[in-house]
Amino acid sequence: MLLNSVVIVLREVLEAALLISVFMATSRNLGLSNRWAAIALVLGGIGAVVYGYLLGPVSELFDGVGQEVSNASLQLGAFLMLVPTAFQIARRSALSGRHGEILPLLMAATVLLAVTREGAEILVYVSGFWEVSDFLSAVGVGSLIGAGIGLSVGVLVYFLLVALPSKRALAAYGVLLLLIAAGMALQATALLIQADWITVSGAIWNTSAILPEDSLLGQLLYAFIGYEASPSATEVIVYVSSMAVVAVAFVAGRSRVGSGDGDTA
Amino acid sequence: MTKLLRGKTPLLVGALCCLLVMPAVAAAPEFEIEIRNHLFQPDTLVIPANTKIKLIVYNRDSTPEEFESFELNREKVILGGRKAIIFIGPLAPGEYPFFGEFNPQTALGTIIATDETDAAE
Repeated sequence: MLLNSVVIVLREVLEAALLISVFMATSRNLGLSNRWAAIALVLGGIGAVVYGYLLGPVSELFDGVGQEVSNASLQLGAFLMLVPTAFQIARRSALSGRHGEILPLLMAATVLLAVTREGAEILVYVSGFWEVSDFLSAVGVGSLIGAGIGLSVGVLVYFLLVALPSKRALAAYGVLLLLIAAGMALQATALLIQADWITVSGAIWNTSAILPEDSLLGQLLYAFIGYEASPSATEVIVYVSSMAVVAVAFVAGRSRVGSGDGDTA
Repeated sequence: MTKLLRGKTPLLVGALCCLLVMPAVAAAPEFEIEIRNHLFQPDTLVIPANTKIKLIVYNRDSTPEEFESFELNREKVILGGRKAIIFIGPLAPGEYPFFGEFNPQTALGTIIATDETDAAE
């Protein structure tokens, strides 16, 4: 029970922690205030409580696939926020001294959506076993350890990124944003397939014999690059094209600065 | 009255079309399993291969459970006392383990996708 709680909470916290630490490192690198992060975390916490509380009725919507649809919407919303965020980060990083208000707002919105979804799942788990008294200590302690490890990884990533020379840091943010964004789009697609809103014709390959998804490496790859052992063609297309969209946004942000007309937001 | 009815004709036609189309859309065969005392009942489900199915999972426990399967790429929270609908497949013939993420020691099951025709019931 204890180890299980660690794994469940760690998996949820890790995704949000990675996103937040990449954004916070970016903020610091660009000389922006990190106040957006505190606001996004508080609002995301409130969002998680509300969403967790409503999960029962929400799940009943759309003929019983409301949970998939709402989770996919939160993921897609976060992905759609990430595209202009990538553009703005690329642009601002080459534009010293000009700091608009839009970037903190975009980062806050992305984090708010991510924390709402991940947080609600943790709350459903913890509150579900709250009344089963003998489980409580194991669930409580396990969850705290899981959250602690997840946050530690986030802090580590933050300091690694902050320590990079700013030219290298930009490339690192670019790659991390690509992976995070593609992972979000992929998860949203998988949820809509599960809800039967998207029809697929089965897996196009299966690497579970070589690298099972439930292995340690498989789990880590899932968290970082959205590893999927038996994806459908739709998922592969969504993954690649969402990466392409963010890459284009990033490059466009850079080149607008290069051509000298990137001065208005 | 006729005016009223005439106004509704597109609606009626639409409803009729829906009725005609619905059986084709809702053709996914349905299968049901239960969660009781953190166990899946039955814990083995034989389904037709290469066919999309609709799985209904009833959670009879008071605690929440998360239906999860790496092999099926499925993941869904089912609150205590509620049911969940999960579409699965089409699957290649084979065995696909699933588990309850909140009670992974006990809540274990397997979906077997088979070509044999009697699997479709």
